[in-house]
Amino acid sequence: MKAFEFSNVVLDTAALQDEMRDVTCGGFAAFEGWVRNHNEGLEVTRLEYEAFAELAEKEGARIVEEARVKFGVTRAACVHRVGSLALGDVAVWVGVSAAHRDEAFRACRYIIDEVKHRLPIWKKEHYVNGDSGWVNCERCAMPAAHTHEHHEHHHEHAPIHTPDYSRQIALREVGAEGQARLRGASVLVVGAGGLGVPVLQYLAGAGVGRIGIVDADRLEPSNLHRQTWYALADCGREKSTLAAQRVQALNPEVRVESHALRLDNGNAERLAAGHDLILDCSDNFATKFLLNDLALRIRKPVLFASVYQYEGQLQLVRGDDATACLRCVWPEATRDGLVGNCAEAGVLGPVPGVFGSLQALEALKILLGLPGLTANEMLIFDLVSLNTQRLRARRAADCDAHRRAGAVVATPAPPELELTFATLAEAQAAGYTFIDVRDARERAEEPLPAPALNLPMSKLLSDAATLDADLRYLLVCATGKRSAAAANLLRSQGLRECRSLRGGIRGLKATA
Amino acid sequence: MPERTIRVQYYALLREQAGRSDETLTTGASNARELYAELSTRYPFTLPAEMLRVAINAEFGEWSQPLEAGDAVVFIPPVAGG
Repeated sequence: MKAFEFSNVVLDTAALQDEMRDVTCGGFAAFEGWVRNHNEGLEVTRLEYEAFAELAEKEGARIVEEARVKFGVTRAACVHRVGSLALGDVAVWVGVSAAHRDEAFRACRYIIDEVKHRLPIWKKEHYVNGDSGWVNCERCAMPAAHTHEHHEHHHEHAPIHTPDYSRQIALREVGAEGQARLRGASVLVVGAGGLGVPVLQYLAGAGVGRIGIVDADRLEPSNLHRQTWYALADCGREKSTLAAQRVQALNPEVRVESHALRLDNGNAERLAAGHDLILDCSDNFATKFLLNDLALRIRKPVLFASVYQYEGQLQLVRGDDATACLRCVWPEATRDGLVGNCAEAGVLGPVPGVFGSLQALEALKILLGLPGLTANEMLIFDLVSLNTQRLRARRAADCDAHRRAGAVVATPAPPELELTFATLAEAQAAGYTFIDVRDARERAEEPLPAPALNLPMSKLLSDAATLDADLRYLLVCATGKRSAAAANLLRSQGLRECRSLRGGIRGLKATA
Repeated sequence: MPERTIRVQYYALLREQAGRSDETLTTGASNARELYAELSTRYPFTLPAEMLRVAINAEFGEWSQPLEAGDAVVFIPPVAGG
C-alpha cells in the first residue's frame, strides 16, 4: 500500500491493519478519527470531506516518511477519507508497526497531528437544523482557536507556507546566487547541545541544503537553560532526533540526517563524507581533537567553538598543510578532565548561544565566500567584560597532527591507558608503582591503603622528570578521571608505561 | 633583571583562580614562563604552564619569549564546553 492515500469508500480497517504485519515488529499502534454527532454545540448528521488531492498526497507521503525516519518505525501508513461520510464512519486511519511500542505510539501521534495541521483537507458538516459549514481541518486540531464562523462553501485553500529567504537574498553579498550556494551546501554539525542549537536553527533557517547531526546524548532537564529549542517534555529523548525534528519543522526543504552516536575514529570519516564543512559543537577535547585530525586527513574545514562559564573560543581549522590546527595551538597533552566542562564549571545559558550564533554566522560566511575568521587565528570573547581578542596563531613546525596527516605509515597504538583492578594489592602484584594525583586535602580525608608517590595535578609536569621511565606506574585519583588525564600527560613526557586505575578509589570500593 | 610594567589577562580557569580578568603589574620576570611562575606564587593556579598557551601582543608566543615593557600578555587554558 501507499504511505498515504485518499479513499472515497468506507475504510476496511482490518485489512489495513493486516498490511502493517511484520514479524520483526513487537508493537502496532493505530489511530482512527471518527465522524461524531456534534461540533461546537451543533448537532451533525453527516460530513463531506474534500481535499486538494495532488498537494495533499505528496505532503501526506512526506509526513509518513518523516515519522518513519524520525522514530525508526518499520511500517507506517495513513488513509484519509474523501466524499460523503455517515456518523461513526472512520474519517482517517493511521497505522504504525515497530520493534517496540514507544516508537509506534509516538510515530502514530506524529502522523495524525501533522496530517491535521499540514494537509489541505476541508470538511463540510451538515447539521440537524439543515445548515452546513466548511471547516478547515487545521482548525479542528486547534480547538482553542475555534470560532463559530462557518463560511458557506468556503473553497479557498489555506495557504501552504513555503520557506522565504527574501530577507537574506536582499543582501547584496547573498542574492539569488548566494542562496543557490547555500541550497547546494552540506554541513555536518557535531553536537546538538548549547552550541549546536543556535547553529542548527540558523543553518536550517538560511536554507542550507543538507545538514547532518551527530549527538549520542539524550536530553536532560539540566540542558534546557541553554538549549532552549527543546521542551521539558522532550527529556529522555535522543537529542539528534529532536534536533532533526526541529530542523524539519523550521524548514522542510532541508535534507536532515541524524546520527545518535558518538563520533569515533571508526565512523568519523563515513559521517563526514559528502559534507563541505564540519562544525564542532561538542563539549569535550576527545571529540575536538578527533575532528581536528580528521580535518587534516580528509582536508576539510572544521570550525571549532568551545565555551567556559562566561567566555569562549572560536577557531577555524582548514585542514591544509600551511595553516594552524588545534594541535598547533594546544599542547599534545590537552585532555578532558583537566579543565572543567559545562557540567563541572557551570555556564550561563546565553554564552553557548552567543558562540553558536557566531559559529553559524561564520559558517554561512564560509559557504557564501565572505570574509571572516581566518585560519591562523583564534577569537576569544569574554562575555563579562565584552572584550574580544583575535590572537594570531601559526602552523607549528613540529605539529604532530600535521605530521601524522602527512605520514603514510600509521603510528603503533599506545599501550592501553586505563586498567581495572579489584584491589590495590592485585595491581601491586602486577608490578605497578602507585602515583596518587589527589590533592593534600583529599589524601588526608581518605588515605590510599598502599604506599604511593604523592604527585598532585599541579606538580605533575614539574616533577615528571623525577619519575623513572623504566618503571610501570599506575595513577590513582578518586574517580579515575583525573588520573587518566594525568597518565596521558605523563605519556606525552615520554613515560609510556603510565596507566590509570579505571574508576579510581571509588571503583575499588564498589567492587570490594 | 630590571623591573618592567606588563599588562596581564587571564581566561577561563585562570581567571577564576586569579579572581580577576586582568591587571597591570611590575615584574622582574624576563620571559612568560618566569612571569607565570611568579604569578603562581601569588594565585592558586592548578594548571602547569605546559597545559596553557601564552599570547604576547595578540600573537600566540613561546614561553621563552623575552618580555618587553608595555607588553600585553594573555594566559589561555584550553576550554571544551559546548
